[in-house]
Amino acid sequence: MLVLGIETSCDETSAALVADGRTVLSNIIANQLELHRKYGGVVPEIAARRHTELIGYVINEALDAGGKSLCDVEAVAVTAKQGLVGSLLVGAAAAKTLSYVLRVPLVGVHHIEGHIFANLLSNPEITLPHVCLTVSGGHTLLVYVRDYCQYELLGGTVDDAAGEAFDKIAKFLDLGFPGGPVIDRLAAQGDRKAFAFPRPLLKAKTFYFSFSGLKTSIINAFKGQLASGETLPMEDIAASFQEAVVDVLVTKTLRAARQREVSAISVTGGVSANRRLREVFAEAGNREGIKVYFPNLSLCTDNAAMIAAAGHARMMLGQVDDLSLDVIPNVPLEVQHAG
Amino acid sequence: MLVLGIDTSGYANAIGVADGERVLADFAFQTRNESLAKIMLNVDSMLKDAGLGLEDIEGFGVGLGPGSWTGIRIGVTVGKMLAYSTGKPVKGISTMEVLAYQARDCRSLICPIIDAGAGDTIYAAFYRSGNNAVHQVGDYYVGDFSGLAEVIAEPVVLVAAGVSKYQSAIEQLLESNIVAAARESIPGGAMVALRAAARLQNGEPDDTLSLAPLYLKESTARAFVNKYSKRALEAQQR
Repeated sequence: MLVLGIETSCDETSAALVADGRTVLSNIIANQLELHRKYGGVVPEIAARRHTELIGYVINEALDAGGKSLCDVEAVAVTAKQGLVGSLLVGAAAAKTLSYVLRVPLVGVHHIEGHIFANLLSNPEITLPHVCLTVSGGHTLLVYVRDYCQYELLGGTVDDAAGEAFDKIAKFLDLGFPGGPVIDRLAAQGDRKAFAFPRPLLKAKTFYFSFSGLKTSIINAFKGQLASGETLPMEDIAASFQEAVVDVLVTKTLRAARQREVSAISVTGGVSANRRLREVFAEAGNREGIKVYFPNLSLCTDNAAMIAAAGHARMMLGQVDDLSLDVIPNVPLEVQHAG
Repeated sequence: MLVLGIDTSGYANAIGVADGERVLADFAFQTRNESLAKIMLNVDSMLKDAGLGLEDIEGFGVGLGPGSWTGIRIGVTVGKMLAYSTGKPVKGISTMEVLAYQARDCRSLICPIIDAGAGDTIYAAFYRSGNNAVHQVGDYYVGDFSGLAEVIAEPVVLVAAGVSKYQSAIEQLLESNIVAAARESIPGGAMVALRAAARLQNGEPDDTLSLAPLYLKESTARAFVNKYSKRALEAQQR
């Protein structure tokens, strides 16, 4: 079954063709970073306007690149839950129109469910159940994936998302937006033990995260020096900060995996591209006999292939939407129990 | 030429079908934040009620705004994807022109007003009627109502959805003969279809994939910057 996926939940306009929920024929991602960089974050109205300009081109290119035409499309999947409302609306309006004209099923997908499927797409051998950590600029979420489309929420962030902490530290150090890649790069040349930054909630029994205090402690530690124009040890700050975030993410995810007695962990979202996170997760997984999976780099950040894959899985379970589909900007991942 | 018109720029979903200069169907209702949820259902039921199929439609018209930014994005996206997926042409029509066209029987200057949804700000424009069309005079106006009164040089007919919002100001202008009449009118889908049909029959379609709304105002990025670092703001100004 050929599914056209559409994702416009934040600042990436994306469309993809995925066959049978497994084979990515095309995955076109139009990044808007340049439009938002000077503001140090995503401006919702700018994002929504850009989606409107790009959506047709991106869908057209996804069909071209996949070597297919519209009449080959057998279903349309679109991110309908979780994101910026103005952005979500554009993708959903396009998806609904195509579903209507082509007379094919329409499936609304939760953005986080898409990220979970990004890993299943990259690593079809992942066993179920497993524990999935989604880490991005907007999310930090630990989910027990019982089966396809059956989730149990284990924990998440109580304040900033992990990627948001990267962005805010980068902004404080004037490193630009987004913060993830530049901190990853600087950290590679720094001393991870130069500063002992706090590891919030590391020892707490719950699977909740907090990154706001870590961010504040770094800002408080260096704002005096920054104001007086002193040169800061950027590499060491980046490395020590990144180590604190990675330490918390890895420790808690492994603890969740042990508690749930699963033999596999999947890590998804934009922050899953972080090299140190991948390294530490791999080491810890080896030590404990737990296999840790990461998506291909092209599927780490927001993309429509993962939405198409998730939509395909929902459809196989008979869960389709009709033309009354609406978007919901803020809603938890639907938790379903096996019964 | 059978054209389907859509306008979702205001508080209503408006859709209609015109065959050349003849209206076959016209349908509009307030949406209460359900514009997206209902739009395709509206299109489907209207076509069925009119005894038409999507395959009968030879082109599409879309109200480009100005108006609700979210609203015009829904209409424009639906319009361009209808055109793209059916391979038929699309034409974007200014919602101002649609409102003015709905008062085309007036011989005086026609002044459509659209609520900008931000405090007292309104969008306005001036049109003159003739040859079964309306022609814009001058540029669009963005500002408050009293500012608009100052730029009116001759008696006009005001056309607005929610005209009662400006009732007290209008009363004064009626007294001073600046306003000849004030009409309640929401931009109609069939009127969008009529105007689009005229253009499409003239061989003036828009480029489907690049079709974009008429915002008339910059995004709120500046307000967003102020929430963040001073440095970012300075960088933007450089």
